[in-house]
Amino acid sequence: MKWLELVQVAGATLVSAVTVVVLYSLGVRLTAIAGDVSERKPAWLRPLAYVCFALCGLAVLFGLYLIIPYFSK
Amino acid sequence: MVALVITLALFFDFTNGFHDTANAMATPIATGAIKPKTAVALAAVLNLVGAFLSTEVAKTVSGGIIKEGDGIQITPDIIFAGLMGAILWNMLTWLKGLPSSSSHALFGGLIGAAIAGIGIHSINFESLMQKVILPAIFAPIIAGAVAYLCTKLAYALTSRHDPETGTKLTQKRGGFRNGQIFTSSLVALAHGTNDAQKTMGIITLVLIAAGTQEPGSGPQFWVIASCAFAIAIGTYSGGWRIIRTMGSGLTDVKPAQGFAAESSTASAILASSHLGFALSTTQVASGSVIGSGMGRRGTTVRWGTAGKIAIGWLFTLPAAGLVGALTAMLVQTGVVGVVIAAVAGTGAVLYMFLHSKKSHVGHHNAVEVEEAGAAVRFRKKKALAVSRANNKPKDEL
Repeated sequence: MKWLELVQVAGATLVSAVTVVVLYSLGVRLTAIAGDVSERKPAWLRPLAYVCFALCGLAVLFGLYLIIPYFSK
Repeated sequence: MVALVITLALFFDFTNGFHDTANAMATPIATGAIKPKTAVALAAVLNLVGAFLSTEVAKTVSGGIIKEGDGIQITPDIIFAGLMGAILWNMLTWLKGLPSSSSHALFGGLIGAAIAGIGIHSINFESLMQKVILPAIFAPIIAGAVAYLCTKLAYALTSRHDPETGTKLTQKRGGFRNGQIFTSSLVALAHGTNDAQKTMGIITLVLIAAGTQEPGSGPQFWVIASCAFAIAIGTYSGGWRIIRTMGSGLTDVKPAQGFAAESSTASAILASSHLGFALSTTQVASGSVIGSGMGRRGTTVRWGTAGKIAIGWLFTLPAAGLVGALTAMLVQTGVVGVVIAAVAGTGAVLYMFLHSKKSHVGHHNAVEVEEAGAAVRFRKKKALAVSRANNKPKDEL
């Protein structure tokens, strides 16, 4: 029985999905804060949000890179 | 016979496409992230691309489930019978709006045909257990658990409370709606790489069996291209019935939830196809939707629908197997049998198609939420302006 592979798949799924969701959620959160009408807020909030989105996109691209045999072989 | 089998295989690919559009596009359609028509078009294009991306043959189509060698030979007849079983089951579940696994239907059909045509000894039960039964149990569990966790995380990270009063602020989770476009695209891509392969494998198997292709060689380009197009056209024609079940039948999907569900679906499918523990796209997607439904507070999962789907899964293997076996027996009687089987199969498909016309489910009524979604979005923009003006606590999204 391929229990090891099963665990591997479960682990990989968990890690990649959580990475994507956490990064994207942070991005959404930061955009939300940046959009708030408040008198004092740091100017780096919005750029940081974009960094989160970008990292999220990179994570996805890296995943694709791993999966498409054309690149990884 | 070979031409007939190839036609049938391509038709199976087509049913596979429209059966599985829902996996990728049900949640973004339900949340109004993408318009239904655009969604299926996007899914179709990505399926097409996906089919070309990975040409690593799914030579594991029969995957050792049917023992080859030792005088056991998979003939085009067996494959014909197996495909018949798979297609009829796909059509029936589509009519009922049940998201059932196309790969299971294919396996079931082939197994049934092999038992009837060759004998029970032709089946390798250990690899059946390992490649079909166990993944079927674990796919929804893994995907569901991951989706549950991701939904919790997504909501925890974006929940905003006023630090002083503790009241809820505008949550502003609209960003997830855009994210959904990407995650659902990823699912469609994964589906293309995964499922188009199966048909390519089948056709290659037939060509090898017929002696027109070298054993052990990969699929020819025209096979790849026609499979890619068959699945893309199938996807574009859209299985609106199943989209309805997945999009609003199981639980009410909100953008953050949909995003979490799709991320887990895409990760699970891609991880499994990369690491060689094949999981069914449909089962992963259904598991994710249920998991994300459990993850959001105030959402109920409609377990009645979930139960119906689970029963559908249980029946997939035996039912497709039965049709496969019957067809195999017919085919063995000779040319007349093949003709009878082909005519009966076409008749059944046509009947189901005509029957479906009675209660039409199209892009216009697949998910009723859509109109409501548009209304809410309009209201939200206004509400946003209002809340910006006086920072009134709002609980939306």
